Amino acid sequence: MADNGNRSSTSGLTINRRELMAAASVLGLGIHMPSAFAADTPKKGGTFRLGMEGGSASDSLDPRTYADSIPISYGWQLWNGLTEVDQDGNVAGELAESWEAKPGAVTWVFNLRKGITFTSGKTFDADDAIYSLNLHRGETKSGAKDLLSPIKELKKLSPNQIEITLASGDADLPYAFADYHVLMVPNGFTDWSKPDGTGAYTLESFEPGVRVITKRKSGAYWKPNRGNFDSVELRYILDVSARTQALLSGQIDGANRLDARTVGLVMKAPTVNVVRTKGTGNRFAFVARCVDDPYTNNDIRLALKYGIDRQKIIDTVYKGYATMGNDTTVAPSAKYAAKDIPQRAYDPEKAAFHFKKAGMANAKFELQVSEGAFSGATDAAVLYQEALKKAGISLDVKRVSGDGYWSNVWLKAPFCAVYWGGRPTVGQQLSQTFLSTANWNDTAWKRPDFDKLVIEASAELDDAKRAKLYEEAQRMIVDDGGMVCFAIGDYLDGYGKKVMGTAPHPHYDMCDQRIAEKGWFA
Amino acid sequence: MPRLIATRAVLGVLTLLAVSAVIFICTQILPGDVASAVLGQQATPESLQVFRQELGLDKPAYIRYFSWLFGVLHGDFGVALTNQRTIIEELRPRFLNTLFLASYAAVLAVPLGVGLGILSALREGKLSDRVSNIVTLIAISVPEFFVGYILIILLAIDWPWFPSLATVFEGMGLGERLYVATLPALTLVLVVTAHMLRMTRSSVLSIMSTPYVEMAFLKGLTRTRVIARHALPNAAGPIISVVALDLAYLVVGVVVVENVFVYPGVGQYMVDAVAKRDVPVVQACGLVFAAVFVGLNTIADILSIIVNPRLRHPR
Repeated sequence: MADNGNRSSTSGLTINRRELMAAASVLGLGIHMPSAFAADTPKKGGTFRLGMEGGSASDSLDPRTYADSIPISYGWQLWNGLTEVDQDGNVAGELAESWEAKPGAVTWVFNLRKGITFTSGKTFDADDAIYSLNLHRGETKSGAKDLLSPIKELKKLSPNQIEITLASGDADLPYAFADYHVLMVPNGFTDWSKPDGTGAYTLESFEPGVRVITKRKSGAYWKPNRGNFDSVELRYILDVSARTQALLSGQIDGANRLDARTVGLVMKAPTVNVVRTKGTGNRFAFVARCVDDPYTNNDIRLALKYGIDRQKIIDTVYKGYATMGNDTTVAPSAKYAAKDIPQRAYDPEKAAFHFKKAGMANAKFELQVSEGAFSGATDAAVLYQEALKKAGISLDVKRVSGDGYWSNVWLKAPFCAVYWGGRPTVGQQLSQTFLSTANWNDTAWKRPDFDKLVIEASAELDDAKRAKLYEEAQRMIVDDGGMVCFAIGDYLDGYGKKVMGTAPHPHYDMCDQRIAEKGWFA
Repeated sequence: MPRLIATRAVLGVLTLLAVSAVIFICTQILPGDVASAVLGQQATPESLQVFRQELGLDKPAYIRYFSWLFGVLHGDFGVALTNQRTIIEELRPRFLNTLFLASYAAVLAVPLGVGLGILSALREGKLSDRVSNIVTLIAISVPEFFVGYILIILLAIDWPWFPSLATVFEGMGLGERLYVATLPALTLVLVVTAHMLRMTRSSVLSIMSTPYVEMAFLKGLTRTRVIARHALPNAAGPIISVVALDLAYLVVGVVVVENVFVYPGVGQYMVDAVAKRDVPVVQACGLVFAAVFVGLNTIADILSIIVNPRLRHPR
C-alpha cells in the first residue's frame, strides 16, 4: 500500500536508443523493437485501453498530490509541462519553446510557445506559467516543493517570456520543469475536478480507483504526430495477475509493472510485446544512519557494503530483471555517472577485514524491512543476512508493517530498507538524498566538502569540469556514505502487438508515462 | 411484532453509533495520518504541516469526531480528505455494485445451498450426500482468491466464455452486467454454498431425531413429507441466520474477490481509504457495512419468528 512516494523517476540517461537496442538484443530479451521504432507516421484513431497499477480510490486530479504512476499518466494526458525529457534523456521544450541562462546559471529567461490554447479556449501565457509554478512554491503540500525551492523570483518580461532568478546557479534548471507535478494550468485555476489543460485529451470521466477516460480534443493537437487515440481508457488493475491476464486475453492494450517472475511466459505470448527498460527503475537500498552507533564507524559501513551478494539478490528476488547498484542512487547509465569507480562486488573476506578493523565484535546490527518499502525487501534482507554470515557478521532482520513505514521507520531507524526513484539529472539525484540540508537525507551523512562539490557542479556550465566534480562527489558517497544500494530495477511494460510507439524511455516506464500521447494503433 | 422491530431499530442505531466511535478511535491508533500517508516518501515537515492545516487535522480528535457526527446526522457524509470528492457520490455507485454482485451470488447460492442441504438430509449417507459435502468442503477450504484464479484459468483462458475483468460501469445493460460479473459471482457462490448446505443439512437432521418427527414417521408419512411439513419449519431458524450471515459476508467481505476480478465495489474503496487514513471515507464505509449487518440480522430474526409456528404463537 505504501508503495507510493517519489516516482519522479529516472536518470539523465545518455544511453541512446541504438545502445539500448543493442544491449537488449545481445541479451536476447525478446523485445520487439522494430515495431516500436518504425519510422512510419502515426495513425489516428482507436480507443486505447490501459490497465495500470500505481493509484488508488483516493487519487485526485490536483497535480500537487501526484505520487504514483496512474495520476502521472492522466496528468500527461490532460496537461503539459514547460519542458519534457526526450527519447535520449535530454531536456526538450514543451510549453517553453526555448530558454537561456545568463552566465552563472542564476538568472534564466524562458520563451513560452505562442498560440497554444487551453480546453477552455484561453491562450497560454506568462501569467499562467507563473501561477502554475507558484502552486509548488512557498506554503504548499506539493511534492515538487523541494525541487522548485531554489527559485527566488519569477518575473513576467512579456506575455510570452518569463525570467527566473535562483538562489544559486543551477545549469539543470530546465529539467526541474519536466517534473510530473509541474503542470501548466490557467492563471487562477482552482477547480481541479474540471481540469482545463493544453494536453491532447480532455477529461470524459474520472472515477478514481476504477477508471479514468479521456477523449481527444477536436482539431489538431499542437504537437505533430502526438495524441493519436480517439480516446484513452485508463483502468485501475492493481492485482498483477489480473493485469497480466487482461493483457494476454486482449481486454486491455497496455499494462505496466509486469511481474519479473512471470514475464518470461508473457514474452512467449504471440499477441503481446514486452518492453523492458534496463536499469532506470527504482533504486533498492538499505540505508544506515551515519550518526547512530555502530554505523558511525566507516569500517562498519564498508563491511556492510562488501558483505552483500548483489548478484544473488538480483537473480533470486528480481529474476535477473535488475542492474547492480553501486552504493549510490546514480544509475550507471546516467550522464555524469562516475564510470571510473569500480563496481563493488561481494567479498566476504574484505567485509570480515573491515569488521575486525572496526574493533566492535559485539556490535548489534538490526535491519528493519517491510514490503511497504519495496516489494522484495524482506527476501533481499534474508539473503543479505546469509551473505553477511560468511563474513562472520550477524544481522537481525526485523520485519515491520508497511503501514506508516515512511513516517515511522524510514529516516528514523538506524538501518532500514528504502527505494529511490530516478531523477532526470545527477544533480537532482544527489542533492535530494545526500546534501546535508536535504529533507530526505536518509543516511544522515553530512559532509560539507560534498555539499560544496555538488553546489559547485550544478552551477558549472563546462561539461568536463562538471563531470569531474560529480565524479568526486559520487566517490565520496561510495567510499564513505551509509547507503548499501544493491540493485536498480528494470521497468517491464506489456503492450498488445498493434500498439506502436512504445520505445523504452530513459526517464520512466510506459514512455515516460506518456504512452497515451505518444502511441498509436498500427 | 411492531414492538420487536422498534426495539431492534433503536438497538441498531446505537450499534451504528458505537461502530462509528470504534472505527474513529482505531483510525487514530493507526500510525501516521492522511497527510503522511498521501505524501508518503515525498513528505517534508513543512508540506505535512500545510496539508494538515488545509484539512483541519490540527484540531483535537474529539472535535473532529463530533463535527463529523453532526454532519452525518444531517445526512452529510462530507468529502474525502485525500481528493475532496463527495463521499456519498463516490460510495453510492460502488455500494450498488457490491449489492448487485452480492444479489447475483445470493440468487444462485441460496437455492443451491439450501436445496442441496435438504437433499443431503433426505439422502443421508448416500453417494450424492457425500459428493456434495466433499465438493463444497473443498471449495470452502481453499482461499477465495485461489478459487477465483482457478475459475479464470478454466472459464476465461482454457474455455474463454467469460471475461476475467469484471469491471461494471454506469450505463451497462443488465445482461452485460450479469455476463461480466459471472466469474466473481460463481467464486462467491462456491465460497458460501458450503456454509448453507452444511447448516441446512445438520439442522434438518437434528430435528429428524426429535420425538415428534419419529411420531410422524410412525403414523406412516413419507420421508419427503416429514421433512417438508414437520422438520423444515422448525429447522428454519438456524438456516435463516446462517443465510443472513452469508449474505452479509457477500456484501462486506469480498474485497479479495473484488481485487482479483477488478470489480469496483466498496471493499477496495474502503481498503484504499484505510491505507490513506482517509477517516471520513472509512467511517462512511464502516457505517454502511454495519448497517447491512444489523439490517440483515434483524430481518433474519423476524423471519425465523414468522416461519416458526411455536414462536409465531407464543403462549
